[in-house]
Amino acid sequence: MKTLLHVQGLTKDYGNEKAVDQITFSLNKNTATALIGPNGAGKTTTLSILAGLLRQTSGTLVIDGDLKGDSRKEIGFLPQYPQFFSWLTALEFIEMVAKLSGLDGKFTKSQAIRTLDFVGLGDAKNKKTGTFSGGMKQRLGLAQAIVHKPGLLLLDEPVSALDPVGRREVLNLLKELQEHTTILYSTHILNDAEEMTDQLLFLRKGQLVEQGSLKEVRDKYANPLFKILFSDSEEAAKFIEIAPWPARQENEIVYIHLLENKPLMNEVLQVLANSNLRLSRVERASASLEEIFLQVVNKHE
Amino acid sequence: MNNFSILFQKEWRENVRNFKILWIPLVFILFGISEPLMYHYLPQILNAVGNMPSDMVFPLPDYTPEQIIMSTIGQYQFIGMLIVAFGFAGIIARERRNGTATMLYVRPIAYTSYVFSKLAIMCILIIGSACIGLLANVYYTYILYGAVDAVAFIGFLGTYSIWLLFAISVVICASSAFPTGIASVISIFLLVVLQLVDGLLGAYWTISPWKLPMYAGQILTGSFDKTPYLWSLTVTIMMVVLLIVGAIYIAKRNVAKAKI
Amino acid sequence: MEWDSVPWLLILPVLIIQLLLVVVALIDLLRVKNTNGSKWMWAIIIILISIIGPVIYFIVGRRNE
Repeated sequence: MKTLLHVQGLTKDYGNEKAVDQITFSLNKNTATALIGPNGAGKTTTLSILAGLLRQTSGTLVIDGDLKGDSRKEIGFLPQYPQFFSWLTALEFIEMVAKLSGLDGKFTKSQAIRTLDFVGLGDAKNKKTGTFSGGMKQRLGLAQAIVHKPGLLLLDEPVSALDPVGRREVLNLLKELQEHTTILYSTHILNDAEEMTDQLLFLRKGQLVEQGSLKEVRDKYANPLFKILFSDSEEAAKFIEIAPWPARQENEIVYIHLLENKPLMNEVLQVLANSNLRLSRVERASASLEEIFLQVVNKHE
Repeated sequence: MNNFSILFQKEWRENVRNFKILWIPLVFILFGISEPLMYHYLPQILNAVGNMPSDMVFPLPDYTPEQIIMSTIGQYQFIGMLIVAFGFAGIIARERRNGTATMLYVRPIAYTSYVFSKLAIMCILIIGSACIGLLANVYYTYILYGAVDAVAFIGFLGTYSIWLLFAISVVICASSAFPTGIASVISIFLLVVLQLVDGLLGAYWTISPWKLPMYAGQILTGSFDKTPYLWSLTVTIMMVVLLIVGAIYIAKRNVAKAKI
Repeated sequence: MEWDSVPWLLILPVLIIQLLLVVVALIDLLRVKNTNGSKWMWAIIIILISIIGPVIYFIVGRRNE
């Protein structure tokens, strides 16, 4: 697979504080990479450096040789809280930024309209951006990031501020874009990352503490486990008392982590059958990204 | 300068839609025509409102047309400068602060074009308004006091425009370097306070941008020293170039301060 | 001062421009979303303080977002 961007030893100091500390990773062409980490981990700083808004203290960025000239032409950036010139209409704004990004004047208007339709703002294109709601601003922010068909799309928390319906819609848009665009996006909502990702980058206090594909990370961290759903938390608590294996309770759910493939499913069922506890489901699962994330963070505590 | 026209269109739309394109010329015209009117009819106005005994006669000094025009410049030098400083101190700083600048700075724009788009719109709004206002002023002065020499007036207008260009450059450079509040304080200091200082202590030197409005008045009356005037003009133009180059350099360096 | 001797042709533009300034400021006040301070206060300032009222509104009252 072709590499679009290689980042080597990226560091950003603010005085003595290292916002980003020796980060190295690569982005392959037309893949989606999720930048995961708690607030203050350096996600926004990393994206800002890649977008050319901040200058790194040290480290190098190598962008694919095909992208000649000013690399900003090939980058689309969506800030976490996109702000617009309130006196421009959505169409005027998108047309303007398309021209500024070097799009040929003849095509900018049709391309701007197409982009606004794509993000679902076709009906609002002649409204002033000052009247837009938060969700509309997020969509307009996406439109300005993609109108010039950039090779690299940098998105800072693209769906965190949206309601569930909006989130689903925007995620679908991003999946569509990913077919011909390389996407690097940050998020602290791990379900979103699970949704669309070829590579995960875990950031913590400016350091890249883990990276790999979702499967690689899962294999490494997620010990398989049993997830037992009881009728209520009291029943779950009773089970913890009698369970012969180390178990962990979360409300009405009990988790039993497997160690060297023990216990077996039938052993668990045996205990459950003898206990007479009311339960609604037993399953063998692997840890969610959220649990992996906690493990990764804890490991580097 | 490839994206100058795109950025200028944005500035133009902003200033049309926030009505600056209307109210700034109106204010300059208003002061331009009310100044000769006030001087000419002041005695009657006082008589009408003041219950003065009707036999009381005000000594009416004989003003020359040039004095009326220079008195208008006095108004422009105060109220006009307040409008320039307070109305435009945020021209770059505000975009940086509210995060809109990020949408521009992530694109392959030339900062020269960016600063020049600001310079162009300010020149149109400020120099354009002042020129229209002074034309209205010279017309009213002509009706009430008599004509001024046309060539001298053009020289006066050109010289005063250079001063305004200097004022505009000061504001743009301050806005490029500092947040809006600090930029307006610095602009007021450089454009109003130093003007007063130059007026009070300026007898000790002859070459200064702050003396340009005075030299403009001397051109109008036809009695001026060429050498200090030309030197002041040269120094002012050099400072304009320095301020604009500085504004471009600092705007680029301050990209990192834009809210993301 | 005699009514006839008032130079109306010269004064009329002054009155028209003052009125225009007030109207433009009021239209802007109606259209703009937020002002620094209440809109009523600015309406009063614009109408009552001649010339300077609208200017103060445009510079201080209008929140440029």
